[in-house]
Amino acid sequence: MTVQHHPDDALLLAYAAGGLDTAMSLILATHLSFCAGCRQLVVGQEQIGGALLEDIAPVAMESDALRRVMARLDEPVTHEPHQPSNDNTPAPLRAALGHDLSQVRWRKMGPNLGYVTLYRRGPLAVRLLRGAPRTDVGSHSHRGMEYTLVLRGGYTDATGSYGPGDFQAASAELRHNPVADPEEDCINLSVTTGPLHFDNTVQKIVARLFGF
Amino acid sequence: MAHAALVSFRAPPRWRPKTVVLMREAGHFDAALRRIAESRDRAAFQELFEHFAPRVKAYAMKLGASSQAAEDLAQEAMLTVWRKAGLFDPARAAASTWIFTIARNLRIDLLRRERLMRLDGGDPSLAPESEPDAGEGFETRQDGEALRRALRTLPVEQSQIVTLSFFSDKPHSQIAAELNIPLGTVKSRLRLAMARLRVSLGETP
Repeated sequence: MTVQHHPDDALLLAYAAGGLDTAMSLILATHLSFCAGCRQLVVGQEQIGGALLEDIAPVAMESDALRRVMARLDEPVTHEPHQPSNDNTPAPLRAALGHDLSQVRWRKMGPNLGYVTLYRRGPLAVRLLRGAPRTDVGSHSHRGMEYTLVLRGGYTDATGSYGPGDFQAASAELRHNPVADPEEDCINLSVTTGPLHFDNTVQKIVARLFGF
Repeated sequence: MAHAALVSFRAPPRWRPKTVVLMREAGHFDAALRRIAESRDRAAFQELFEHFAPRVKAYAMKLGASSQAAEDLAQEAMLTVWRKAGLFDPARAAASTWIFTIARNLRIDLLRRERLMRLDGGDPSLAPESEPDAGEGFETRQDGEALRRALRTLPVEQSQIVTLSFFSDKPHSQIAAELNIPLGTVKSRLRLAMARLRVSLGETP
């Protein structure tokens, strides 16, 4: 199945330009692993970057910079052994995890949901989320942006159906109620820039407890 | 390590650009990279260093790096150019584009190490993994000079957005706020600019 939902041009360009933080770079790079179309767009944008680099006003290097770099040219380079993924975990994600997706040790959040936090700083959080088939995450809105990339399985909300490689950017205005598709577990990579805000009181408390 | 974040340029794809018009200057840097790859030519490296290191430093500073951090990034980028020269494929990218992506990937990697703590036990390489397929977007390699000409003929409000997108670390929402225009306008100008660049380069939008 081909990827249906993509990051918008501005986000792709921000990735190509090197302007995104680590969390957003990770989710964009992982989307690119799935999506040849966006890869091609980024290649075009990188060429604009190259052209702009030619036209930029240069800033003088330190006087001994060339000598110092030349002195390092013969340093031995250690290559990390390349270990291919056994379960098609996208390379950028695999590098971030240090292992395959199938080796993730999930933390339970209720009977049907699992998660693992990869990174957290202030309101920014990067997580893997896993929902059993038909799991209803619960209706929620957002206090910041919620970016979701489907890695396995899929989910559906009022805006559409999302499968592997699909990318959703949910802004504060969007209230949605994602439900995992029935066939298999749905595994997503999620970047949130603010807490989720659940409608249901119990879910509100659970979310608070788990730091969502 | 820094090199983990590099785009891996693999064997040339099946598909080739229909026309590759090499400007003397662009071809010149391509040739310098080839000389490094084939014979570890230090004079060629020096030439590339003198041209590109100050530009990479300027790029990093525009993205918010301190002068010292930008200096380090430029030196590291040029060292990577030396080490990876064998992976440079002139059919895929101009020398300037290739070096831009090296600098870009190093910057993402440095951000991770400096400002952000490690993700769980990994050493993330945030570069895309696969080579692009033909079909969408730009041709795999554009003649750099034509692209620069096309950039210069963009309406000023479009080129401003493109340049700010590349050479500032501000998100588009902040660019919109500073220019006092809606975010939707920033995005539509960006879309128009990209469409125009494709047309200028003789492609169907």
